[in-house]
Amino acid sequence: MIVKKGSFVIEGLENVQINIGKVGAEEEQIAQGPTPRPEIISLRNWDYRLLDRYNPVYTPTSDMCDYCTYGKCDLTGNKEGACGIDLEGQSARQALMTNIMGAACHTAHGRHLLNYLTRKYGNDFPIDVGPSNLQAPLTETIMGIQPKTIGDFFPVLDYVEEQLTQLMATTNTGQEGSARDFESKALHAGMLDLLGMEVADIIQISCLGFPKSDEKAPMAEIGMGILDPTKPVVICVGHNIVAPAYILDYMDKNGQFDKIEIAGLCCTAHDMTRYNRNAKIIGSMTKELKYIRSGIPDVLVTDEQCVRADILKEAQKLHIPVIATNEKITYGLPDRTNDNVDAIIDDLVSGKQAGVLLLDFEKIGELVPKLAMKIGPIRKAKGLTALPNEEEFKKLVAKCTKCLQCTRDCPESLPISDAMAAAVNGDLVPFEELHDKCVGCGRCDYSCPVDIPVLNVIEKAAQRVIREEKGKVRIGRGQIGDPEIREEGRNLVLGTTPGVLAFVGCGNYPDGTKDVYDVVEEMIQRSYIIISSGCAAMDIGMYKDKDGKTLYERYPGRFIKGNLLNTGSCVSNAHIAATTIKVASIFAGRKTKGNWEEIADYVLNRVGAVGIAWGAYSQKAFAIGTGCNRLGIPVVVGPHGTKYRRAFIGKPYRKDDWNVFDGRDGSVVNVEPAPEHLMITAETKEEMMPLLAKLCFRPSDNSLGRAIKLTHYIELSEKYLKKMPDDWHIYVRNEADLPVAKREQLLKLLEQKGWKIDWEKKKITEGPLRKVDVSFQPTNVPRLCKEAKK
Amino acid sequence: MNSEKAIDTTRQAVPFDTGNIPGPKMARATMPAVAGKMLAKAKRPLLIVGSEIHDEKVLAKVVDFGKRGIQIAAVGNSFSALGDKGLDAHYINMHALASYLCDPQWPGLDGKGGYDLVVFFGITYYYMSQSISALKNFSKIKVVSIDKYYHPNADMSFGNLRDDVFIAALDEVILQLPKK
Repeated sequence: MIVKKGSFVIEGLENVQINIGKVGAEEEQIAQGPTPRPEIISLRNWDYRLLDRYNPVYTPTSDMCDYCTYGKCDLTGNKEGACGIDLEGQSARQALMTNIMGAACHTAHGRHLLNYLTRKYGNDFPIDVGPSNLQAPLTETIMGIQPKTIGDFFPVLDYVEEQLTQLMATTNTGQEGSARDFESKALHAGMLDLLGMEVADIIQISCLGFPKSDEKAPMAEIGMGILDPTKPVVICVGHNIVAPAYILDYMDKNGQFDKIEIAGLCCTAHDMTRYNRNAKIIGSMTKELKYIRSGIPDVLVTDEQCVRADILKEAQKLHIPVIATNEKITYGLPDRTNDNVDAIIDDLVSGKQAGVLLLDFEKIGELVPKLAMKIGPIRKAKGLTALPNEEEFKKLVAKCTKCLQCTRDCPESLPISDAMAAAVNGDLVPFEELHDKCVGCGRCDYSCPVDIPVLNVIEKAAQRVIREEKGKVRIGRGQIGDPEIREEGRNLVLGTTPGVLAFVGCGNYPDGTKDVYDVVEEMIQRSYIIISSGCAAMDIGMYKDKDGKTLYERYPGRFIKGNLLNTGSCVSNAHIAATTIKVASIFAGRKTKGNWEEIADYVLNRVGAVGIAWGAYSQKAFAIGTGCNRLGIPVVVGPHGTKYRRAFIGKPYRKDDWNVFDGRDGSVVNVEPAPEHLMITAETKEEMMPLLAKLCFRPSDNSLGRAIKLTHYIELSEKYLKKMPDDWHIYVRNEADLPVAKREQLLKLLEQKGWKIDWEKKKITEGPLRKVDVSFQPTNVPRLCKEAKK
Repeated sequence: MNSEKAIDTTRQAVPFDTGNIPGPKMARATMPAVAGKMLAKAKRPLLIVGSEIHDEKVLAKVVDFGKRGIQIAAVGNSFSALGDKGLDAHYINMHALASYLCDPQWPGLDGKGGYDLVVFFGITYYYMSQSISALKNFSKIKVVSIDKYYHPNADMSFGNLRDDVFIAALDEVILQLPKK
């Protein structure tokens, strides 16, 4: 047997380990914590600590289970099904499965990139993500290793894939039955998701010349109105940069950027702009069907994730060829990978084939621009579009019977028939408003009993606003660099920067994209650090102020208070979570390698970071959120988030849930509920904003920081809910915690609540739950207390 | 109340969102007088209202309920319309409320204990439908929807109603409540 790489021991010499490949264990490769490569139950105790405080709340979409042939089983009222699982267990199992789906998606994306990039650049291609020593925070914290080259990520993805298989196995009938343990496993899957994402983004940043922690990354154009529709138009849809990169390279080499418009839909767009500054962004997945039906694209290139299942059918109607470039989405298309490019083009232009599967990237790079140049003029001459003309539009809106079936089928329950009625009278404004709120799913088309193509009607009516839909997004910068953490970490932990708000996820907003813009504008003006990624990062850039500037143009992109950062695509979410690890490591000197529990405990108690997935729709978004939860980061989801069927909600009235240890001596301290929830929804943006401010409280806040956070919590509640928060006083530990401008007024209110005030000294003498102690070391983990360490 | 003039709220008792079919147990369609009597007889009822009460006519009905002494959980952004009306109204997050209502130890919005009956209207449809699925499956609290839309996860619910019928139905519920 020849061993080329790895470790082994020789019988009789068990104390001697022989390493082949990388000789000697470098210091940074040694795990510093107890859980390198955690198995399914390695972090179960930490999960239990979270679950005991933040109880899972189940809101089933179905009271049935139909996973096995015993069923269908009716579990209504938490009854048990034939296999013995009850609705609580089934709901938790679904939470786990949803997380596995999301984690598998990101990890498989990472695997595709890793295989491709190592083939192209070699295993030893060095990792370079910018000015950081802690280059792969999640990998270090979970795996206990410090990767140096892209090839070092092979064992990382091997680990994630193995763990996901183990987790998937537990969902089979006759396996796990405990809701609590399903949730622990879901948290494990969420953590794996973060790891899979980190691998994917680090290797593409390192190899493909993406911005590397670049706070001054340039702007990219975004919107449905940015492209010149008279030129051939290539639209890439999905998340994986590889195929679009080859197309961009070919266009670059042949000087075609002034001849062909190329843009992306969903996260592929982010990565295209990170790869080549000539690429543009149409928008999130919600724009997919709308843009295809506009007829503007001449070629559609699909890769993976967030690609509509009907894209081929829709494209075929308008003679838009579809080039599928990834094994995960093949649509039954013929595999033309081994065929001649010109022959394939002929078949697509003639309509002999509606699309092809093409897995040779060199051929994709050559074929797509050539195809666009050839088919573009033909399509434009025919004026192909799914949208009705003026006459047809008038007839269609007049057909509406106001049966409301479209509203009943609409995910946002939009008042479509009202807009139809207004349009009959020549008023298109209601339709223009619907365009922003419409998620572009097309369910309304199927529901209309008189066959009105509702989405097409909305889009036709909204042409004026669509033409003006032109925004700017700062190109995804990647990680937050170590120097930025050094500068800002202290402010975050002490609370003098009120918090980090991470706007992530998809476009299934309850009331349109504008809500995200409004919330970001409000919070950034209050000096929160705003980080964004994915479709949320796009939507933030869609609106302008009265001077015609987007938020990205108004606010710089450094990791300091009052800045707006875009980390990049979906997989760049990993950097947002990893930022909290960097704070724990760089600011507080916590050891990271194999030390998840200690890091997560630090984040939970000290780093005022909150994730917001206001329009989350996908399994991936749920996995990201759950991974953040295991890292101690609370997440707020929009009202559609109740359909994820599980939240983690704290109960502030159960005082014992809020006991923590003081790390200095192991004593138990009853603290304020901070953060109060780990995963929760809000109904409206007005409700969301004070909730975000509240979820930024941490037990470690110093008085100045607490006063700042309290100021925002109170002001946002007064501004948007027209009331003082009922629980504001819970977060007051002494008079220094009170906002200076309102101190006297608040002291009076506290006195009315029965607190004792020394008015001469303007001091609180009795009432608070606990005193401020600047040396307080809050922890939920007994072993981290000094007494325990002794 | 003349029964011949009673508004029939039991028609169109199908989930407003077409796909919102939870399982074999779905809400029994109910008349306003029945819902009103249940509310009047409850020992500790709670009215939940949300972001869809800002319409003048709907808001007036919320105020009428409040003036009959019904405690109100104002979820979403609804408190902004209720705070100055002198009602026993409390802001709370709906998702958190669903969790707390399932907990027998919850002291309630006013510290006086949990609730035996929840009625609601004026909340984002799918959001409320999901939220009360927690109560349906993990609590013993009776849930009665007096919303404009049929809610399958309630124990009893109005059918899908026109705006004018909805307001009239709320009036009939209120008529059953003793005046304060």
